[in-house]
Amino acid sequence: MRRALSLLIGLLAASTCLSPAARADDTLSFPVLVPLTGFLSLEGTSQRNGAVLALKQTPAGVAIASEIVDTGTSPEAAVTALERAAGGGTVGAVAASMLGTQMLAMLPLANELKLPLVTVSGTASITEQGNPWVFRFFPGDAVTKAAHARYVVEELGKRQPAVIYQTTAYGQSGKAHLDAAFKALGVTPVFEEGVDPAAKDLLPVLTKALAANPDVLVLHLHSGPTALLLRQAASGGVTLPIVAGSAMHQPSTAALLEPAELKGVCAETAASPISGGTPEVKAFTDAYRAAFGKEPDAFALGQYDGMTMVLEAVKAGARTPDAIRKALSSETFKGLAMTYKSDGKGNMAHSAVIVCYDGTSRVPALVKRYDDPTLAAK
Amino acid sequence: MAALQLLVNGVALGAAYALVALGFVLVLNATSAVNFAQGDLVMAGGLLAVALAPLIPLPGIALLPAVLVLMAALGLVLALAAYLPLRSRPPVSVFISTIAVGIILQNGAAILFGPEPRAAPPLFGDDTLHIAGLAVPEQSLAIVAVAGLLIGVQQWVFARTQLGRRLRATAQDPEMARACGVPVTAMILVTFAIGAACAGAAGLLLANRYFVTPTSGGDLILKAYIAVTVGGWGSVPGAVVGALLIALFEVGVSSVLSYPVALGALYLTLLAILVLRPQGLFGEAVRRRG
Repeated sequence: MRRALSLLIGLLAASTCLSPAARADDTLSFPVLVPLTGFLSLEGTSQRNGAVLALKQTPAGVAIASEIVDTGTSPEAAVTALERAAGGGTVGAVAASMLGTQMLAMLPLANELKLPLVTVSGTASITEQGNPWVFRFFPGDAVTKAAHARYVVEELGKRQPAVIYQTTAYGQSGKAHLDAAFKALGVTPVFEEGVDPAAKDLLPVLTKALAANPDVLVLHLHSGPTALLLRQAASGGVTLPIVAGSAMHQPSTAALLEPAELKGVCAETAASPISGGTPEVKAFTDAYRAAFGKEPDAFALGQYDGMTMVLEAVKAGARTPDAIRKALSSETFKGLAMTYKSDGKGNMAHSAVIVCYDGTSRVPALVKRYDDPTLAAK
Repeated sequence: MAALQLLVNGVALGAAYALVALGFVLVLNATSAVNFAQGDLVMAGGLLAVALAPLIPLPGIALLPAVLVLMAALGLVLALAAYLPLRSRPPVSVFISTIAVGIILQNGAAILFGPEPRAAPPLFGDDTLHIAGLAVPEQSLAIVAVAGLLIGVQQWVFARTQLGRRLRATAQDPEMARACGVPVTAMILVTFAIGAACAGAAGLLLANRYFVTPTSGGDLILKAYIAVTVGGWGSVPGAVVGALLIALFEVGVSSVLSYPVALGALYLTLLAILVLRPQGLFGEAVRRRG
């Protein structure tokens, strides 16, 4: 009932986002269908912002249109949004939800409609369906978790990790890839446990993890639980190194904690725009702050890079969804976060970085970059 | 020692849950309506504290009066919009209207505050006290103290004041209360206001230590519902004890087994109570005759 009402309200809200202006026949549309409400709204908002910023780079001589639709958290809402978007003129490509279950629901329809879906979803299975219309501009778990495990074992020299993960699909997928990566490195975790996202107190799992005598804590949790566990670890005087999942790199996660609580904490991610880097990354970060009044994260940068690659294809003459798909499938694109190239399945991103906090600020430093980390772990 | 540490955390969490359950059961008693927006009112209280913090640069406890007043006002709006127009309709109408209010609150919060998790300022301090080998965050002590004080004040109002007697009369038998001159509609409005104020206070207490997002109220309403069922449907002391038991159960079972098991066990226990002791721990058994 609650979900149905959410869906109804979401669709009503979405209908108000549609541009009332009639489009010219030669206008290319790039709908942004992302979760702006529900449990993934934080990441979905980053995704939307990245896409919106990219779509401001209108190629000369091409009329661009875009509509933003909130897909909420249900697969049916995402499918409905895609059907609506497809009926709105010539669609070039779709910035599609990062929620794996929504992507899996949209893929058959995208195949039927012949529309490229450009996403930053980390769910491994979306590029394992044999669907030529999906393009992932964020490293999947196979990449990020390999980097995660390799940093723990190779850089920190730890061989007794305690793994705490979320019981959601995101958590299960990450845990499976962590297990595989640790196994490839000859390491067996001394403790593994899943945590429900609604759990308010993480001291029980932290106590049990510490009782297993680990030499490092490895986290794969959403934003709030990551901050909660770090806070409880800090107040409990835990001095073990902690290497967290990509939720930790998000500025909004760090904002929940004091810099001292972050000392010695590292995290894997695709990129960390606020940590600086090239002048282009700095320009992106400044533009993002000016446009949205927020700090950008890797999801925003990944979606920005994805939509920028789409626009590069348009600049090069692609005017149909199939031409854009062919360009995404075959071209190499040097984005802000990394260089993107399809592996034949739609996986465009093959790099990951490790960032660490020094305890004096909430801005992490880039400490290690892995380009295709899975190769060495195999 | 670890068990004691977990007990401290469980009691702090239970105290906040108790405030949520208390607001829930008050409305239930006065109106027979299940207010499914109660969890979202907790979220609203937490975000209200976050919004007020820059305006009142004092420890979080200084925000409590403002949160109580503003949330009470929100409770009045909830009663006027989602309960009073529907009170002569079947109970399911109110059930759905409060769900709708909850969704409106969630989406309104998402628009106003964005989706990021946020933290309210600590009630008094943010240090961790080390007492007999236990690490006790000041915030945990503050949660227990403030929740205990609010529950105590509320019980005193209900037991010792004219307003409390009128509220209890309304809860027990609205028609008889109206016949005796009690302004029943006004009492229902006051009950909604108190219920929302309780939720807001819980939001303030929880939002520093456990953070708050627009969707964080969803699981709290389930906890309140279970607490009221375990304690006894309609029993105020039962709701408080039920909430404490749930928090201790959650922390205890998850520390021995795991979170998924604790969650499953909690719902199985609820099912067992519904079957074996439907009146709960403190409720009165009602038998039909004939």
